Amino acid sequence: MVRMRTIYLAIAVAVLALGVPADAGPKGRQVRYVGIHPIPKSEGGGICYIEGPHVHIFAANKLEYRDHRGSNYFVGDPVAYGYDGPKYAYKGHHPIHVNAVVDDDADDTEYCYIEGPHYHYFEPAVADTDFKLAGDAYFYVGEPPPAYVEARPAMVKINAVYTPMVYTRPIVTVEPPSGWIGIRAGIGVPAAVVVDDRPAAVVVDPVVRAGVEVHIPTPTLSIGIGIGGGTVVRDRPVYVREHDRGHRKYKKHR
Amino acid sequence: MRGISILIASAIACGAIGCDKGKGGSPGLGGPGGGAREGVVEAWKKGGLTPSPLTAAQTPVGKDCQSGTVGAVDVLVCVYPTPAEAKAAEEAGLAWVGDTTGAAQARGAVLIAAADRRKSDPSGRTINQLMKLAPK
Repeated sequence: MVRMRTIYLAIAVAVLALGVPADAGPKGRQVRYVGIHPIPKSEGGGICYIEGPHVHIFAANKLEYRDHRGSNYFVGDPVAYGYDGPKYAYKGHHPIHVNAVVDDDADDTEYCYIEGPHYHYFEPAVADTDFKLAGDAYFYVGEPPPAYVEARPAMVKINAVYTPMVYTRPIVTVEPPSGWIGIRAGIGVPAAVVVDDRPAAVVVDPVVRAGVEVHIPTPTLSIGIGIGGGTVVRDRPVYVREHDRGHRKYKKHR
Repeated sequence: MRGISILIASAIACGAIGCDKGKGGSPGLGGPGGGAREGVVEAWKKGGLTPSPLTAAQTPVGKDCQSGTVGAVDVLVCVYPTPAEAKAAEEAGLAWVGDTTGAAQARGAVLIAAADRRKSDPSGRTINQLMKLAPK
């Protein structure tokens, strides 16, 4: 009897040990990401700073993420979600060479459709002549491919996400360089572009409001980023001079 | 008979949950791939991380694996004969991560997997450091 009990005990221990392996884990709920991205508020909020491929147990949305080799890559502005690392200012739409940002060999160009000044945590490659740096911000002056144009109607909806967000955006003080995608002709069909002549609502975060002068030149002309689809464009050139600015000490974040 | 049964049970349990097979030197850094693994651990330490001693782990991820923690993040470091085999093991590494935030990346012939099962690294900064500091 004792012998039988011992055997049963041994079998039970063995089954328990084999049935609950320490390192087994289903990956059915895993969602793949690559690069820095925001964390949903429902998951605690903030920023995930893992630069390489990784997984979470929450989903990505369609407007702010693009697929990169099966992983979700964030194309939005991380500063809007509290990112506090090195950052680079851009104005208007532009391509993102994802493979260069995440340092892999899967050639992949995606497009950022955020209108107006915004940040990313990467800057264009030094050799990339499709970008011009003016007034501390990068402007895309290249020839946008059909893929950019085709996706634009759907992807410009990302601005409905960012427009109401209150955060410190970059302040761009210069005229856009010639060839900037926001003013060049022939991109898409600028159907019935309406210029709003009223003074633009310049939203300056309270943090930077002190010591800021706003100059709205007249007449103003803007054909900007809202190209296509009968957009009312309010993104007129607005010259903002921020006193005691003295920043732009960013380093390449790679 | 009783002794044999206990021995069998112990052997099976040990095989399933992993027992230290360290071979001298730094605790837990032994095994065939000890040098490569030691390089990873040293890089972590130089970068300011504080890894616990790694202990041998029996896992489907690889034959030469050791596990431990860095902060409260679980880590698994496996060494393979070739970089290609380490790369191919990334999927198995993600399975080891399970239903939590984590990563599994090959660095040469070493696979590094990290899992934040205790939710101690909500910003992912530790996991990012684990991957970035490891020698390529």
